[in-house]
Amino acid sequence: MTTSTFTIAGRIIRQLVRDRRTIALLVLVPLVIASLVGVSIPDRNMLDYIFPAILAVLILFFGFLLTGISFLRERSQGTLERLLASPVSKFDIVGGYLLGFLLFALLQTLIIFFYMVYVLDITYRGELWQILVFQVLIGAGAVCLGTFFSVFARNEFQMMQFIPLVIVPQIFLCGLLWPVDQMPEYLQWAARFLPLTYGVDGIRALMLEGQNLADIGMEVGVLGAFAVVLLVLASLTLRRSSSG
Amino acid sequence: MKTLTSDAVPAVTAAVAIDNLSFNYGRLRVIDGLSLEVGAGTSFGLLGPNGSGKTTLIRLMVGLLKPAGGTIHCLGRPPSPARARNMGYMPQLPALYQELSVEQNIEFFARIYGMKDKRQRSQRVEEVIRLVDLWSRRKTSVLKLSGGMKQRVSLGCAIVHRPPLLFLDEPTVGLDPELRAHFWRHFENLTAAGTTLIISSHTMDDAAHCRQLVFMRQGKIIAKGSPAELQAATGDGCASLEDAFLYFIRKGKVPTGDD
Repeated sequence: MTTSTFTIAGRIIRQLVRDRRTIALLVLVPLVIASLVGVSIPDRNMLDYIFPAILAVLILFFGFLLTGISFLRERSQGTLERLLASPVSKFDIVGGYLLGFLLFALLQTLIIFFYMVYVLDITYRGELWQILVFQVLIGAGAVCLGTFFSVFARNEFQMMQFIPLVIVPQIFLCGLLWPVDQMPEYLQWAARFLPLTYGVDGIRALMLEGQNLADIGMEVGVLGAFAVVLLVLASLTLRRSSSG
Repeated sequence: MKTLTSDAVPAVTAAVAIDNLSFNYGRLRVIDGLSLEVGAGTSFGLLGPNGSGKTTLIRLMVGLLKPAGGTIHCLGRPPSPARARNMGYMPQLPALYQELSVEQNIEFFARIYGMKDKRQRSQRVEEVIRLVDLWSRRKTSVLKLSGGMKQRVSLGCAIVHRPPLLFLDEPTVGLDPELRAHFWRHFENLTAAGTTLIISSHTMDDAAHCRQLVFMRQGKIIAKGSPAELQAATGDGCASLEDAFLYFIRKGKVPTGDD
């Protein structure tokens, strides 16, 4: 990680902060979704069970979407090419994105978390800092996933098509709606390769069972490895230009 | 001819040396066995119609594309991210961060190009904003600027780190005559200070300002020389640069599409 990584992260934060409408949507949309879930499920125990998973799903969804679209714009506006003609490395660029968007992921998690606990009255166990650290880990994977898939999209429409392809199957198979171990065996097998499955298992262990990060070492390890592999892939596939 | 003296840059008289360069987009040969040498501290124009390979050549020189064959040396070495600090690049599109202000865009590129000292950096950013005549708009988002203003911000981003070698890809496209004259005054000041400028353009107005020119067509150089030399080569004392370009096409070194 070099000075350029922090410079790029700082620029991303400044860009988002100056785009007030996007900031407002980033805060409001997850709250609307959380409220909808909160009022549509009358069973309190069910709500307590579902909300940790919602936290993990939202971070994956927004991390993927925001980074994917931002990277795509960086390509179409020519700024990525300009950066690649400068002294920064590809790792600086992807690393800068990672840092910049993780800060937003963290803020978004905090807002949703306090809304769930204090407005929707969701009960949880475990420590807040551990929940945040784990969320950041899911967010890191989401940001790298978004960066990586943006390579395959030429415009925003195509990037949006990746949501039903990359994110929605993970939501169905992660155990948010139905426990993974009660799914058909081949789906259980598929779920084992999807990061959100580990994200949901981990966050439930932290928030429902009051476990520590050390207790969910496998989930932390898999998500960390997933983020690192995608970071390398995203950096290596960072095309210098759309036509080159 | 001025020799570059920056510590990181070897003392060379040729700012750019290209030998037998070729590049293809798929099956299409875009640069075809091109060789040229650009002396340091000069303004060097790449002139040619759209699709003649000017932008591709610039992207090869700044290291964005890898040659299919031949060699490129910029300031004595092949282009690479490690050497990019001594080069400035203004792409054809303004390529700016739309949400950020004029000042934030230029400051970002100053940082990226290694200007670490905060005081020196902010002084230089201010100097550049005044130079491109946008001081009153320095806090405005680029999104709200006119096309010409965006071009000026883009130029500011390319020159903020005082590169000894500057690549400008059609920098005057879309500028009104007054602004074009303003840009050229600045380019002449840069070359007077020892900067090497490589400028692509398809307007003969830009060509007339360059000290050295190459006419390009279909990825090849069809003529090179100073504007006066190229005009004189036509044998017509009243020939314009446009006449000279047409003369070299007709001379048949590279067949035209109409032939």
